[in-house]
Amino acid sequence: MSDTAIHEPAAPEMDALIGALLHSCSEHVLETMFFAAVFEAADPAASTGCERVTSRLHFSGKPSGDFEVDADPGIARALTAGFLGIEESEVTSAQEDEVMAEFCNMTCGSALSSLGCVEYFNLQVPETTRSEAFAPEVEGVRRAFLLDGGTLSVCLRVDFDRS
Amino acid sequence: MALQILIVDDSPAMRSFIRRVMKLSGIEVEQYFEAGNGEEGLAQLAANPIDAVLTDINMPVMDGEEFVRKMRADGAHQSTPVIVISTDATTHRIQTMQELGAVGYLQKPFGPEQLRNELDRVLGVGHE
Repeated sequence: MSDTAIHEPAAPEMDALIGALLHSCSEHVLETMFFAAVFEAADPAASTGCERVTSRLHFSGKPSGDFEVDADPGIARALTAGFLGIEESEVTSAQEDEVMAEFCNMTCGSALSSLGCVEYFNLQVPETTRSEAFAPEVEGVRRAFLLDGGTLSVCLRVDFDRS
Repeated sequence: MALQILIVDDSPAMRSFIRRVMKLSGIEVEQYFEAGNGEEGLAQLAANPIDAVLTDINMPVMDGEEFVRKMRADGAHQSTPVIVISTDATTHRIQTMQELGAVGYLQKPFGPEQLRNELDRVLGVGHE
């Protein structure tokens, strides 16, 4: 493996790039594998304090970082049904946990693969939790989307300095 | 020709999704075999006639890299096509898997058309 430093853009440009990638990758993952459409962007801060289903992962490599996704419980159920091709009434909590983890894994991996200044990365297994009053744990670039019946937000922190 | 497909992924939901997309793609499958990690994948290969393998990379017990390495070291499975299905599309990862013996690489997210194209490519378009 090369020890060559990764040349990333300046912070504001990098944040803008990550934000654009989060939007395009989330939309692509939702449409391709969950058969769900993004209607429009939403307020990323609006989910704080609300009931949410959350999935988080840490990734190591060059660079390392963290990724977080949170969704309205109804959206988590709808996405699970879409992914598995079953009725929403058939969805179990275990399936929701697993499918939200898959979304977390896919969207993070897709964004990192598209970032351009990522040499390699290893995604840890995502952990899905539920909270009555969501509080973000990852401080990074956050984007939120309005889907049919609720919102979903994603947040990516890339730690170039700690790689 | 209907295919015998081995899916190696630690996520039952992902294995279910792959079966669903295979059906949507129109690929004719005679039987699916499934494994939750590379070790189980090797056991399935030893016990069943497999036409193609679809495998994840990050798995517990035995990951995709070790699975493909051991599969290729086994004379009986040196030519069985392996398609990696992963979120990781970095050059580093793709090259590593190709060097180990994977002949196809499908980045998540993917749909029926991408899966069919990759299977057609590695098996030959006339596999049906």
